Amino acid sequence: MNINIEADLALGKLSFNEEAKQRGKSIRRIRKFQSISLSVLRTLLLGGLCFVILYPVIQQLLLAFRAPMDANDPSVVWIPKNWSVQNFTIAALVLDYWDALLNTLKLSAISMILQIASTALAGYAFSRLKFKGSEVLFIFVIITIVIPPQALSLAQYLYFRDLSLIGKELSIYVMSGLGQGIRSGIFIYIFRSFFKGLPKELEEAAQIDGASVFRIFWNVMLPNARGAIVTVGLFAFVWQWNDVYFAKIFEISTATFPILTMRLVNAAENIYAALFYTGGLSLIGQDVWSNPMFLATISNVSALLMMLPLLIMYLFVQKQFVESIERTGIVG
Amino acid sequence: MMQDTLNNQVNNPKGKKKYEFTYQRQKFIWAIIFLLPWFIGLLLLFLLPFMESLRYSFYKLTPAVGEIIAEFVGFDNYFFAINEHVSVATSTSFRVELINTMTDVIFNLPVLLIFSLFMAVLLNMKFKGRALVRAIFFVPVILNSVAVTTALGGGQAINDILAQQGVGQIFDLHFFLLQTGFPEFLVAFVVGLIDRIYDILALSGVPILLFLASIQSIPNHLYEAAKIEGATSYEMFWLITLPNVSPHILTVTVYALVDTFLTSPVATIISDELNKQAWGLSSAMAWIYVLCIIAVLLVVFVLAKIFKIGGSHYEH
Repeated sequence: MNINIEADLALGKLSFNEEAKQRGKSIRRIRKFQSISLSVLRTLLLGGLCFVILYPVIQQLLLAFRAPMDANDPSVVWIPKNWSVQNFTIAALVLDYWDALLNTLKLSAISMILQIASTALAGYAFSRLKFKGSEVLFIFVIITIVIPPQALSLAQYLYFRDLSLIGKELSIYVMSGLGQGIRSGIFIYIFRSFFKGLPKELEEAAQIDGASVFRIFWNVMLPNARGAIVTVGLFAFVWQWNDVYFAKIFEISTATFPILTMRLVNAAENIYAALFYTGGLSLIGQDVWSNPMFLATISNVSALLMMLPLLIMYLFVQKQFVESIERTGIVG
Repeated sequence: MMQDTLNNQVNNPKGKKKYEFTYQRQKFIWAIIFLLPWFIGLLLLFLLPFMESLRYSFYKLTPAVGEIIAEFVGFDNYFFAINEHVSVATSTSFRVELINTMTDVIFNLPVLLIFSLFMAVLLNMKFKGRALVRAIFFVPVILNSVAVTTALGGGQAINDILAQQGVGQIFDLHFFLLQTGFPEFLVAFVVGLIDRIYDILALSGVPILLFLASIQSIPNHLYEAAKIEGATSYEMFWLITLPNVSPHILTVTVYALVDTFLTSPVATIISDELNKQAWGLSSAMAWIYVLCIIAVLLVVFVLAKIFKIGGSHYEH
């Protein structure tokens, strides 16, 4: 029974009565008010948080663009008086930037691919190809996540020394390819929960069509786990890029194969020596390089230079997060 | 192909049964193939050093020329770490820091989870400049690196000089709030919270991305159906987003737990002892600390089991 509708018999038409019209209006008003207040709140909150994150970064950037002579000028507070990229030139020299960038890029990319491959396979096996004892094996995955890498460092170093892998980038590839790289355990866990969340019907449909287990994995499941692949790939890349720990114990950064992080750490520990050996001192006068403020600035600019490629890369990658799996193919 | 199937059926009247059997078998074989690289890595690169490290924790190791002298000391390293250890550099002890970290984790973990889920839902909405905001939220993930921290540590000099010039703080919140007449304790709380915002943001960078990815993988038709039925966004969150994200809540919990532990002062103490070449002691510390994390994890898993978080709803 719907009492909100009036029937106009003469015209043969049904129409809402006054009360219902009013109610519809007020609901629409409330909805509109809600959506506006939501967007205002959201803007305020996100804006505030972005400010908290960006404030130190902007401060560093403005400092970086200051001309080295002005490093200590008390009249310059925020906006540089003389804009200059000299700090960047010097920092690039200290880091051996272009060589190191290329090497780090190569190291991170290869290890990312190996990590994705090994952890996706393991994650799939743990979620979809269960067998007796796979739960027990999964406990080991948790243990690999939990154990701090420091606990294993000495034993790992001695072991890799016996294999004569110390000082070679191959050691990182071996670790990633065998699913024991930087936080591989958490990647396996991520893949496992993503594959677990995919509907069973997908697998069953493919199975009825006669697809083999590998084909189901490759052609059905993997394309649907794109979110997981992008996430894992991103983290694997960034963490390898930022990694100091493994680079240090496996002594990967050498004169012929410099890596950004190790160059940065070495430079930050003794910025003067780094400037001296790379010839950065000759670019500027003594009155500038004897200023501790200038040395600190160079160290900060080096850190910025290391982060920059990651940020640029992320701007492209984040689009991948937008596209959800609308191709799942199972509706209702 | 057709011929084959026919032959198969003639030769083997129970063809269907055989198919099932082979599919199960096929699954098992592929499971082994898929797990093989990881398993080899586990045996050679993890369990071997793991056992070694466990052995070290019962020895006193002293470096000598070309070799390491090991002397068996039983549980002495463990007792020393818990009862006697005092860190000279930071004037704290292992036990105090461990207890602090544990209590911190218990209070911070729920806050972190709720905050990052909330932020992920916000970042998933459609609004102008979303790409930019997402990129900005990624900055703490990048900044969270030892190398960058070391390099910016040199920035202390910069901050000091800036503070001298009065640029260190944009405005003195504490002072302003007191001026407006808020009670003292409330001001301290608010200022403390705001000081911690950056820390919370830094820790939640990865959880936000994980939640974002899992929200993205929720099929769109669920939301469309709900909208047609007239559900509000509040109802859609509780009835669609949350159940679909719940398997990932456990993942994020495990990650956040381990991450807070790895960045805690406890990890620093272990690294310091390692650098002092007190390998036996640092192994023992690492083991105590692993036992603590496992204890917390067990509690989390049991809670998850009780509240049925983490099971995939496709499985029933």
